[in-house]
Amino acid sequence: MEATQTEQKYNFEVVRWFSIMAVVYLVVGTLVGVIIASQLAWPVLNFDIAELTFGRLRPLHTNAVIFAFGGCVLMATAFYSVQRTCGVRLWSDKMAWFTFWGWNVIIVLAVITLPLGITQGKEYAELEWPIDLLIAVVWLSYSFNFAMTIAKRKTSHIYVSNWFFLGMMVMITYLHVVNSLAIPVELFKSYSVFSGVQDAMIQWWWGHNAVGFYLTAGFLGIMYYFVPKQAGRPVFSYRLSVIHFWALMFGYVWLGAHHLQYTALPDWTGSIGAAVSLAMIIPSWGGAINGMMTLSGAWDKLRTDYILRFLIMSLAFYAMSTFEGPVMSAKTVNALSHYTDWTVGHVHSGALGWVAMVGAGALYHMVEKLWNTRMYSASLVNLHFWMATIGTVIYITSMWVSGIMQGLMWRDYDEFGTLTYTFAESVAAMHPYYAMRAIGGLIFWAGGVVMLYNVVMTVRQAAGQRSSSAAAATA
Amino acid sequence: MSSLREYFHTDWAAMTTSDWVGLITTVGIFILMVALFVYVLHPKNKARLESNRHIPMDEDDRFDTEDKK
Repeated sequence: MEATQTEQKYNFEVVRWFSIMAVVYLVVGTLVGVIIASQLAWPVLNFDIAELTFGRLRPLHTNAVIFAFGGCVLMATAFYSVQRTCGVRLWSDKMAWFTFWGWNVIIVLAVITLPLGITQGKEYAELEWPIDLLIAVVWLSYSFNFAMTIAKRKTSHIYVSNWFFLGMMVMITYLHVVNSLAIPVELFKSYSVFSGVQDAMIQWWWGHNAVGFYLTAGFLGIMYYFVPKQAGRPVFSYRLSVIHFWALMFGYVWLGAHHLQYTALPDWTGSIGAAVSLAMIIPSWGGAINGMMTLSGAWDKLRTDYILRFLIMSLAFYAMSTFEGPVMSAKTVNALSHYTDWTVGHVHSGALGWVAMVGAGALYHMVEKLWNTRMYSASLVNLHFWMATIGTVIYITSMWVSGIMQGLMWRDYDEFGTLTYTFAESVAAMHPYYAMRAIGGLIFWAGGVVMLYNVVMTVRQAAGQRSSSAAAATA
Repeated sequence: MSSLREYFHTDWAAMTTSDWVGLITTVGIFILMVALFVYVLHPKNKARLESNRHIPMDEDDRFDTEDKK
């Protein structure tokens, strides 16, 4: 199909803007991550300025990478792939633009309010109630537009990537609304309707499902469309993808309580959370193998296709973190790992290795298709791949060592039953690993800068090609 | 054996409405998952389900052809 025909048939302009903003937010969000990682290693970097302290910037980092980068990637890829797989234009262009501007306004509001200390204090849901309302409205516009595009599709079957996107949209609406239920007392102050142990349970029901549906189901939607497209081969097993989808939808919602082992929560809730977590290894690995085996018989493509490398490496990290998570949820392991840096390492093997890598792979794929050109520099894509991989590995290995050491130091006691180490001693022992983590994050961030440069140059190159084609046509 | 019986003992009379809703939902989902596995893995459904995996591959050709009809 000619590029111009495709352009008229689909709304790709909004996808382009979401894609560009995703790359910008990748750089900004990980930069804030590098700053706060450095603050933990060298506390002087807090500069004694309230707005720049770790406590204020940490939620800004998580919101920037999850909702700004992750959200823009999800919106770009969902709007792109639903049009392609359904053979129709988005149901409403105006609503798509409302989603774009609305989501970016939310991000700007987060950048203003979080450093000012305006927060609900709920992890991964810090934004105050007026912004929560805006999130609900914008998210519904995104979901409704997506669902209506599917409703007017030309195909009889709804491709599995759209199932994953839809599952995410339904569940995140439900999770966000319930978790954010609060009584406003001022314009930027509210109190959760839940309290005590119920509040903790709702918090982690949301917290883990934000990982399960937003960062997993949504990004699996990306995987099921972009891995086959980039590899030029159909997904290994469609039947496995159907099982993967339903097992994930019904399984993930049980897991939240594994974040609250050995707390005031009833013991059985933690046990069921751990049991279902361990059972989830099966569909998660089924999905990872399904994605990787799509390359069966064509593994040589990894030698030359750097974009495919991102997608396949992300699946390796997905498999690794979906094994590590259930192991950490088991009570025996959790007794050591909980509250330590091991958890931080686990989260980042998922966030950097899975989410950011599959997101980068999909973005590179879309940039070539949306601007109808090749990447400005394939070598820079390869450089980004290695920086992202090496940065992630340095980050997570330093946190593994640090976390296990922390856990062992905290539980160690002498022959009199006295703790061997003070908490401050354990903090001092972490310093080399915190410095190493900051370096790993810095390498990952620099890879993002390389990507941004490459994408900007690709867009400029495409604009130059269009101008010369137009000049040749008029001559 | 007696300890197992004790372990699995349930005081049905003490079940609240929430307990019943949770129990029925859980058992219902379990049965649905079993039905899903049977349906998806049954050999007679293989060809029909697997034909959908080509959707992203032939999307442009397919829609071009449909537009020209």
